[in-house]
Amino acid sequence: MAVSWLGRLAARAPVPVYPLLGIGGERALYPLALAGRVTRVDSPRHASVLLVAGHVPVHHHEALKRVHDQLPRPFATLWFRSQPLPGLENARRVDDPATLTDELVALHRELQTGQRGSSPRLLPDEPPNPWEGLGDDGHGGEGMMGGTPYGRPMAMNMQDDIRDGLTLDSLTFRLGPFYPLLPPGLAAEITLQGDVIQSWTNQSPAYPRALDAVFQTARERPVAIAELELARARHHLRHLYRALRLAGLEGLGLKALRLARELTPASHLDGLRRQLTRAGFFRLAALDGGALDAETARRLGGPAARAAGIDTDRRSDDAHYRRLGFRPALGRGGDTRARWHQKLAEIEQSLALAGRAVDEGDLTTVGPGGLETPCGPWRERPAQDAGGCLEALLPGMEWDSALATIASLDLAEGSASPPPGEAHAEEPQ
Amino acid sequence: MELLTLLAVLLIALGAGLALQWPALRRQPLPGYSQRAPFLGGGTPDSHAWNRYHIRYYPMTLLLIAFEMEMMFMYPWAVVFVEKGLMAVMEMGMFLAILSVGIVYAWREGVFKWQ
Repeated sequence: MAVSWLGRLAARAPVPVYPLLGIGGERALYPLALAGRVTRVDSPRHASVLLVAGHVPVHHHEALKRVHDQLPRPFATLWFRSQPLPGLENARRVDDPATLTDELVALHRELQTGQRGSSPRLLPDEPPNPWEGLGDDGHGGEGMMGGTPYGRPMAMNMQDDIRDGLTLDSLTFRLGPFYPLLPPGLAAEITLQGDVIQSWTNQSPAYPRALDAVFQTARERPVAIAELELARARHHLRHLYRALRLAGLEGLGLKALRLARELTPASHLDGLRRQLTRAGFFRLAALDGGALDAETARRLGGPAARAAGIDTDRRSDDAHYRRLGFRPALGRGGDTRARWHQKLAEIEQSLALAGRAVDEGDLTTVGPGGLETPCGPWRERPAQDAGGCLEALLPGMEWDSALATIASLDLAEGSASPPPGEAHAEEPQ
Repeated sequence: MELLTLLAVLLIALGAGLALQWPALRRQPLPGYSQRAPFLGGGTPDSHAWNRYHIRYYPMTLLLIAFEMEMMFMYPWAVVFVEKGLMAVMEMGMFLAILSVGIVYAWREGVFKWQ
């Protein structure tokens, strides 16, 4: 009686969803973040529904299974524009973003009221290594640090400390490709000593993130500058949302997302900028560091290069942009904090350009040619080694600074064409 | 009579408590091995996370101990200060001199730098 009453109450609560993002999956994320009936959680252990959004490549299926099996029972999966894995034939699939929230809520209700059974486990329930009942504490070896309890050896100090000489045990693990604080697809083998990164080796690059369709069109024919600049500002605001969520300022992140959704040439950033300053975003200690050297900054291009003071922006070559008084905004320092100042300055610049372009009778770009996307100059092929700079940049940094640095870089960019399965992806407004 | 009532209340409370803790009622299946593994976004660990790591607040504890010890000595000292006179002042001076070495050390460790 009491249990069914509790079940009914739980069914009415916001749905805790763990979004596992594949290629093009972020499109589902933004409307979901603004939907009130869904709570996005950062660990599968807190989730009731696993949302697999976007195509997941075959070589990441094992990782997907591991995340899937970490949800506590009862749980369900929802596949958004993605094919359910073998063994999950009864899982629900949805392709229409407009019905995504309703489907999640319905799944959660069915689970809590017992109308739907839990999703089956995909991996065999057996220990990684068999238990070895040897040693003083039954941990399979001699002494406190011997043996392999629960199939994993104890952390042992294998490397010298690179911070202050206080040598601690090295902890080596592989993170990703579905770690919520890294770009989707990015996986790395990491060795930590305390909270300092000793080594970082990329194992798979971040999935390409589709740019707004207007950037593809701008490659082929002149497009309205106002439309192009609003798409650029929207891209930066969504990037800001991801960083604010990482910084624990989700409320402000949602404001950035709402602003991105309702962006017009008359929009202003002043309110959001004031709130960011008041919340102490620019004073976060995690924003110290992450400075790129000139060569890396030039290779990444876009706001990362301009934040380092490198004058590179293909909009300068466009006569109509020059007519609007465009000059690249340049920053100084090139560290994480400078990149966020740069992004905000570029959002303001884009809004001002969009306003002026409308005043000039909806001015268009001159024509096909060099295109500056929100993450740098247009590249025909995605830059495969965009994340390669992390291997040199992150060792020696503390964990929070490292994550803030990754969040400030456009590592997942470089594709203006829609990824597979996204060809007709229209984002709901 | 009152004692008997009290005993009965005690027994009922204990019985109810034990009944709630009855092992058969509390038994829950252990989570599977995949659930017991740490969450790494699909990644896997090489070793246990049970390791020696840096407690970053240790300079702050040094500072706390330095000032705490000072106050612990100062309260009884204030009581006998008038009676003992100059000798008490000298003793306190020596004590503070020794303690200040600890504070200087904590300063060198960066304890006054607020992050």
